[in-house]
Amino acid sequence: MIDARGLSKRYGDLAAVDDVSFSIGKGEIVGFLGPNGAGKTTTMRMITGFLPPTDGTAVVAGHDIFDDPIAARGAIGYLPETPPLYPEMTVTSYLDFVARIKGVARKQRRDSVDRAMERTDLTGVNRQVIGTLSKGFRQRVGLAQAIVHDPPVLILDEPTAGLDPLQIREIRALIAELTAPGAAQNTVILSTHIMAEVDAICRRVILINRGRKVVDAPLEELTADGTTLEEIFARHTSRDAADLEPDEPAEEAAS
Amino acid sequence: MKQIGSIAGRELRSMFVSPIAYGVMSLFSILAGVFFILDVAWFNEMLMRMQQYQAFDELAQWNLNDSLIGEFYGSMSVVLMFLIPGITMGLYASEKSNGTEELLLTSPLTIWDIVLGKFLAGAVFVTLLTLLVGMFPGLLFAYGDPEVGKTMSGLLGILLVGWTYVAIGGFASSITRNQIIAFLVSFVVLLTLLLLPAVADFGVAGSAPAVAEVLRYLSAAIHFEQLLKGLVDTADLAYFAVMIGVFLLLTKASVESVRWR
Ligand SMILES: Nc1ncnc2c1ncn2[C@@H]1O[C@H](COP(=O)(O)OP(=O)(O)OP(=O)(O)O)[C@@H](O)[C@H]1O
Ligand SMILES: [Mg+2]
Repeated sequence: MIDARGLSKRYGDLAAVDDVSFSIGKGEIVGFLGPNGAGKTTTMRMITGFLPPTDGTAVVAGHDIFDDPIAARGAIGYLPETPPLYPEMTVTSYLDFVARIKGVARKQRRDSVDRAMERTDLTGVNRQVIGTLSKGFRQRVGLAQAIVHDPPVLILDEPTAGLDPLQIREIRALIAELTAPGAAQNTVILSTHIMAEVDAICRRVILINRGRKVVDAPLEELTADGTTLEEIFARHTSRDAADLEPDEPAEEAAS
Repeated sequence: MKQIGSIAGRELRSMFVSPIAYGVMSLFSILAGVFFILDVAWFNEMLMRMQQYQAFDELAQWNLNDSLIGEFYGSMSVVLMFLIPGITMGLYASEKSNGTEELLLTSPLTIWDIVLGKFLAGAVFVTLLTLLVGMFPGLLFAYGDPEVGKTMSGLLGILLVGWTYVAIGGFASSITRNQIIAFLVSFVVLLTLLLLPAVADFGVAGSAPAVAEVLRYLSAAIHFEQLLKGLVDTADLAYFAVMIGVFLLLTKASVESVRWR
């Protein structure tokens, strides 16, 4: 469903993403890991058509992002790092707008919006103005906008960042539910810094460091010999331990 | 291009839940009322004086259209120069600061859907303002007999000037994520456009008449005046069409450039 072919993005001298290729089949749920600045967001932005790759291309649901960008974008549900919300709109009218620009037919729009709100537990706040929602609820609206058009591919950039433990658990349960076998959108890439999240949701791990892919394997295989994901993460990214992820204990000790 | 309506509809709805649209509309109505009353008072004052001094030649020239409605339209076009940047400043800048730019650009939309949708929203708003302006001379038809043609062509002038300002303001908004900067940039551009004839007359008319001619052509004011006089000429209409087209093209390039940065 998602084919990254030698994706590269250069900013001047910096190779933010360097020749990254992977192929994700239908039904796969992939955890996309890497320390801060590894290039996760940049890779996702290239696949979703927000940024053009300097080199390489991606094919989404059979559509090349260069040759057929509209169809490729239509096949994706995308939750960017900061949920793209209009604070002055109500939840319902926002989701209706997103459904419209994603090409949901007029007649189905109401149902799509209602279903997306149901699945993300937003029905109770459907008339509320987004700007007045708590962070956790705004994140849910972000998720709802990603699934409102029933896309075959979901790309989620740190869906639980900045939430409290309770919200994290709920959002995680939500993603697990959205991606359960049989659900419509069952090809997922999800970036995160939280290893427990990968354990809970993903079946395959892609780890990138400094723009390069360093690990790409099924979760079971990686942890078969008893190594934890943390150890794997540390082993492959240890050289820039200085700017590691925020929930690293070292960082807490330092501050 | 079938998504223009989705973009325009959302934009308009957001305009009307924000205080800015209502603020602009109220301010505009108040200013229109004040200018209209002043223009009427001045018109009557002059009329009385001319009769008093028996200035029949001047009196023959004195009519509702040129001496009142035209003046009023002229003032309102200047008011638009201050208010339209306030409406357009958020068109693109707020999408960038909200992060919703990423939603639009990763949706199955073309850049033209976005640019034309936003222009349409601004144009609809300006059309409402123009209707507000039109109500005032409308009152005069109850008391006098202004020429319908001139009254309408002047109103068309306001509409076209307003749409042009929307295209320019939209472009200014597309080059920054800061609404204040967007406001200032569009205001400066509009002011320049207004001052071009003066620059042409006092600055370069003597030394470079050809340049002066070009500057004068570029100014919206010159073409607006033609419409105020009741002269609906394709050359003037073309000016507005070209200005709008050019700034929409620039806006498209600017929105697209996010992808190439
Ligand atoms: N517009 C830009 N100009 C220059 N450099 C950029 C730009 N955008 C990103 N970068 C750089 O590219 C690298 C990859 O950034 P990216 O946001 O993809 O990392 P990330 O893996 O998502 O990090 P995080 O975990 O912090 O979200 C970083 O070094 C970043 O500074
Ligand atoms: Mg990121």
